[in-house]
Amino acid sequence: MENKNFQVVGQITPRKDGVARVTGQEKYTVDTTLPRMLYGRTVCSPYAHARIKSVDTSAAEAMGAVVLTFKDIPPIRYNERIITVEWALHKDHYILADKVRRMGEPVVAVAAETEELAEKAARAVKVEYEPLPVLIDPREAMKPGAAPLYDTVMYGDKEIKIENNIACTREVIEGDVDKAFAESDVFVEGTFKTHKIYHAQMEPKSVLCRPEPDGGITVWATTQSIHNTRIVLGQIFDIPLSKINVKRMAVGGTFGSSIQMNSVVPIGVALALKARRPVRLTLTREEDMHDHGRFGTDAHIKIGAKKDGTLTGVEMEMIADLGAHIIQGYSFLGVSIGWVVSLYRLPNVRYKGVGVYTNKAPGCAMQGYGNPQATLAVESLLDELAEKLGMDPLELRLKNYVGLGMTFWGQGPMVRSIVWSDGVPELLGKGQELIGWDKRESPDTKSGRFRRGIGLGRGFHTTSAGAPQPGDVIDFSGALVKVNQDGSVDVVTAMVDHGGGTWEAIAKLVAETLCVPLDKVNVVPSDTFSTVYDVCTHATRGTYAGGGAAVKVAEQVKKEIFETAAHYMNVQPDALKLRMDHEQGQAVIYVPSIPDRKMTLKQLASRTWSESWKTIAAVDSYRPTNCPPAYVTIFLEIEVDTWTGTVRTLRTALGVDCGTVVNPDGAIGQLEGGLSRGLGMALYEDNEWNDQGQLLSKGYWVDAKTPGIMETPALQDLNTHFADTYEPTGPLGAKGIGEAALNPVPAAYANAIYNAIGIRFYELPITPEKILGALMEQENMVKEGVH
Amino acid sequence: MKPQMITLHINGRTHYVALNPNQTLLVALRDLGYTDVKCGCEKGDCGACAVFLNGVAVNSCLVLAGQADEGEILTAAGLGTSEHPHPLQTAFSDAGAIQCGYCTPGMIVSAKALLDHKPHPTDTEIRDAISGNLCRCTGYAQIIQAVQSAAEKMDAGGEG
Ligand code: FES
Ligand code: FES
Repeated sequence: MENKNFQVVGQITPRKDGVARVTGQEKYTVDTTLPRMLYGRTVCSPYAHARIKSVDTSAAEAMGAVVLTFKDIPPIRYNERIITVEWALHKDHYILADKVRRMGEPVVAVAAETEELAEKAARAVKVEYEPLPVLIDPREAMKPGAAPLYDTVMYGDKEIKIENNIACTREVIEGDVDKAFAESDVFVEGTFKTHKIYHAQMEPKSVLCRPEPDGGITVWATTQSIHNTRIVLGQIFDIPLSKINVKRMAVGGTFGSSIQMNSVVPIGVALALKARRPVRLTLTREEDMHDHGRFGTDAHIKIGAKKDGTLTGVEMEMIADLGAHIIQGYSFLGVSIGWVVSLYRLPNVRYKGVGVYTNKAPGCAMQGYGNPQATLAVESLLDELAEKLGMDPLELRLKNYVGLGMTFWGQGPMVRSIVWSDGVPELLGKGQELIGWDKRESPDTKSGRFRRGIGLGRGFHTTSAGAPQPGDVIDFSGALVKVNQDGSVDVVTAMVDHGGGTWEAIAKLVAETLCVPLDKVNVVPSDTFSTVYDVCTHATRGTYAGGGAAVKVAEQVKKEIFETAAHYMNVQPDALKLRMDHEQGQAVIYVPSIPDRKMTLKQLASRTWSESWKTIAAVDSYRPTNCPPAYVTIFLEIEVDTWTGTVRTLRTALGVDCGTVVNPDGAIGQLEGGLSRGLGMALYEDNEWNDQGQLLSKGYWVDAKTPGIMETPALQDLNTHFADTYEPTGPLGAKGIGEAALNPVPAAYANAIYNAIGIRFYELPITPEKILGALMEQENMVKEGVH
Repeated sequence: MKPQMITLHINGRTHYVALNPNQTLLVALRDLGYTDVKCGCEKGDCGACAVFLNGVAVNSCLVLAGQADEGEILTAAGLGTSEHPHPLQTAFSDAGAIQCGYCTPGMIVSAKALLDHKPHPTDTEIRDAISGNLCRCTGYAQIIQAVQSAAEKMDAGGEG
């Protein structure tokens, strides 16, 4: 099973899409145009919560604009993300607002000949609002008597009442927490808060839609899932899916922001259908910031342990700030406890999660889907526990982590599987050595203006949401692989690559399986017409599930190659082997025991073309029966300036266990990118709303504090490393990296800051203001002798 | 508002266009098909729209097209082709400095502006030069490395 003598996999190769990207030839949705295309704009609410009293579009129409109002749209509520089965899906979103629930909510949409005219027409629309009380804090929103955002929403096909702005709740009970706590010697607990920060993907969300003569539509959209986009559009517009084609595009980063069918997509489609012309609609950066953000969380966690450091159980209560719409909030509540109990063995669990509506940007998945929030809490508490027990934090982690052979249910209570590969001891050992863990000193030994600290964050992400049994989450992929007449290979997949190199990985896995040189294997442009279903590029599943599908199908192609070649070569198919011949630039089919009995794939394919009239090809679906953890360990050395409160990152050791490393430079890029985004989340990124629900950054990236180049440590100080593992359920031993790379980063910062100044922070971001405030308090306590 | 005729020399080609005086250079370039000039924010925050105007790197979203009348404009696509990429383009592609690639054209323009004046930049000088360009994907380390390695290659080969 385990074969690590790869020829393509694990090699550093120039990215296939590199040339297009560095020479500016890559086309993203925002770059796509069509003849006779109109430009769309939306009329966005200036209020965060308001009833729409009247809409007057006459002036816009007089300018020649096509105008879309609530009256023109299908009266259907949808959920823009459909990765769960119907019974776990709440639907509260109309294409245009029936009532305003967040700032910037589209109320009317227009399309016109030029962008300028569209803008003018949008400004000419008169909307009368009746402002309603604004709810920013989920705790306020839950209070009886708070202004309701919704009276009812759809749940499956039933209409349900919403009380106290609580959209959903989820409880999980395993074992007996009371008994476990009664038998525990020591406890750690805390309330951890994280904010609704902005994805800050570089490409603004966009859609281009062309109505087709047969009543169908062709859609170019920023999305991580072309098939789910098509399905939701079919449901809203009642068009057969066979007439909806969604094109797979290059995407300018997402980090979760396009995990769903974005809200601009149906608006663009409705405009195009009304105008009977192609329409492109792109969000401005400010509109994009209003559109989605991370789920904010407020979680109280208590963990019990025995004197020897064995963890006994966990009690957790969490409030998730859903924002104005629910986008798989129920799943979010499930995974949030899943992350906790899959980090460490906590056999007794009592959990309650509540998802609450507020007048802010809807929360959607953002790198980690609740995992960085959960990991911050657990890793902070583990450090506290280690201190209480007088144990090395590393030892405490090794003793309790969920590893080889254990049950793992990161993606929620219904997605459980077994861990088959585990590089955690290796990662911790290597990181320990690289960062100089053993020389780490306790905070009370540090003084002076600049204080250094070393911190560890350990975490993981599930690769895919696969499991042996069905659950509430839909997870499968598919691929079509075909051999061309010259021995080259086309891979047709719906899987989107948001920049991480998923297509590169898929091409390498197929090249390796079929022994075809990499430059002859291409992941070709595709759309929903030409591909079988793939759920989404999310859950760190691109390489594992998308690549898994491609390898499964490539194996079928290989079988057909052998059967067809056996016929031409007059041998048994089982006697045949494949090898890569770089001189000929071909895969060669040969019989090891008869040296002259061989043919290239090109010879085979051209014979099947001219003599047997067939294409060697296969297509299939693939459901991962596992969701193996991609483990990451982040060691940091930081320096706190106690005069300014700023934190500088000095050195890191970033380690990942991603099984077989398919794209080494891409994998390193994932770790470095994860560090940058995690650093932003930990230390300063904040997308704050005032009490009127107005976004304080006003659409300025700099004010939302997206990390720039100055905060990045020098390359030689980053120290990335891989564990040497092989995942038996993965394609050629591979797992994923993506989200795992970020998940433990905020925790590592919190722990490193504690190690530097002896102060623990429970709320992100840990800004200079908070650090200075806490230092002052610490000083006062020392002065007063409180200690 | 009345459109005015302006002349733009872009990557060696001359365009005569009628544009409203409030049109930005970014929109003018993209409307002419130079979509390698990316739009990230239209507020001067991200650097995705960087181009050379008369030899100086500017954020094209902060320049009115009228200000560029008769100007020489060079975009990332004008620096090299698939067959003959600029050393910076090769380095970005080889060093893992691109992920989604949306920030890349602007990054390459900023990096070239630096190397035009400082063929041997230090780490700090590279960071300064690129501090106006945001990249959400890579974490910047491999971008710094790409600029360094392009500088070395250009030095050895006298290219650029
Ligand atoms: S688009 Fe010009 S700086 Fe962002
Ligand atoms: S590579 Fe995606 S923003 Fe830089």
